[in-house]
Amino acid sequence: MKIFLKKTIFTILFLFSFQLFSAETADNVTTYPNDFETSTFEDEVYDPLEPLNRVIFSFNNVLDKLILEPTAKGYRKLPSPLQSGISNFFGNLRMPLIIINQVLQGQGGNAIESTGRFVINSTIGLVGIVDVASRVGLEEKDEDFGQTLAAWGVGDGFYVVLPIFGPSNVRDAAGTFLTYTYDPINSFLIDQNQGWFIPYRITGNAIDYRSKIIDEVNALRNNSVDYYAAVRSSYYQNRKAAIRNEEDNVSAPAPIISIEFE
Amino acid sequence: MKFIKKTLIIFFLLTTYVKAQEVTTWLQSEVDNILNSYKNSSLSNLERFNIVEKTVNSNFAGAGIAKFVAGKAWASANEDLKKEYIKLFKKHLALNIASMMQGYADQSYNLIKTEIDESNQLILIDMEILDQNNSFVVTWRIKESKGRFFVIDLIVADISLVLTKRSEFNSMLKKVDYDLENFNISLKKQNELSFDKIIK
Repeated sequence: MKIFLKKTIFTILFLFSFQLFSAETADNVTTYPNDFETSTFEDEVYDPLEPLNRVIFSFNNVLDKLILEPTAKGYRKLPSPLQSGISNFFGNLRMPLIIINQVLQGQGGNAIESTGRFVINSTIGLVGIVDVASRVGLEEKDEDFGQTLAAWGVGDGFYVVLPIFGPSNVRDAAGTFLTYTYDPINSFLIDQNQGWFIPYRITGNAIDYRSKIIDEVNALRNNSVDYYAAVRSSYYQNRKAAIRNEEDNVSAPAPIISIEFE
Repeated sequence: MKFIKKTLIIFFLLTTYVKAQEVTTWLQSEVDNILNSYKNSSLSNLERFNIVEKTVNSNFAGAGIAKFVAGKAWASANEDLKKEYIKLFKKHLALNIASMMQGYADQSYNLIKTEIDESNQLILIDMEILDQNNSFVVTWRIKESKGRFFVIDLIVADISLVLTKRSEFNSMLKKVDYDLENFNISLKKQNELSFDKIIK
């Protein structure tokens, strides 16, 4: 009996290993009716101010094309170590705010890790220019007031496009306001009569961030039948993933395309 | 009995491993095919686009994605309109991928994780793309059918290409009362604009 079982199992294994069960296929698919229920995938973002948002979006788009994108492209021509240094420096200045939000969200472990990052990079890392902390395993985990409010159960509210700042929603716009009001570094700078640095910090952050997504933005802008809707959807997907604090492949919502190849 | 259990577990692990290896090799080969065309400076942008389009048409579940993205406009359209829409959508998909590739500057990539999601019959492959200053992860969602693999979505920075397209198309379709005929006109125009930008 044992010998028979062994033989049967090994035969099955043998057949599978040569994929004897594979067959021809074609890119003809059938789908199920549920695939087309738009509510299933939240295609309809609550956007009661859409006409006004579209105007602001167009204004931001023009500003981006005229000022931010060319500046970001110029920034990308800087030597790579210099770009990394600038990016690390601005990133390090965000850490106190991240720590506050991690504490507010009850992420004690992450807050300790971020504090370690801030201390190491601000000292050994030459005021944050060199990201020493990542090399010793202290990775950056971003948090902001919008995420904190979401963690406390505050809903999205409706979608808004902020002049200059871009896509947001009521909750995240409030978060942005809190960020600029309660950022410890900004408060410290004002306290030390060094407030002049704040606009440079905001601008530097914006250029650094924009330089990292030049190709992605261009691909979206050049190939969208409705660029506004594409940005709105991208914003919501990205924010939802950030709020969930999960790994990339887990956090992204799975399109359940019910495919059966005929 | 214990022997059967153990053998079945080994069998399961072995087939999973073989499938993971197989899908990874397939993806790597297709991605390399596209990257090589961008590394080859003797090729024109049109020739590169043709390679991208051929690769996308052979390896993406274009028709399935097209139907999903059309949302509720699909049900009311006639067969000719559906065929025209699928053709336009496949072109649109290829143009999107080709457009993402325009910024290619010798970045390298590693396939860092392959995960088989048995419950949704999906294979997820994480690809880390590295350039001088940054790295980011692209997740490929793949479905297997009858021994062949098909890409059903690409996730870049937590943003799904398919969900974004669905939302974007839905916004446009709403304006034309979910009439696929009118929408096809807009899609064709957009494809022509995108094509001009890519081959210039």
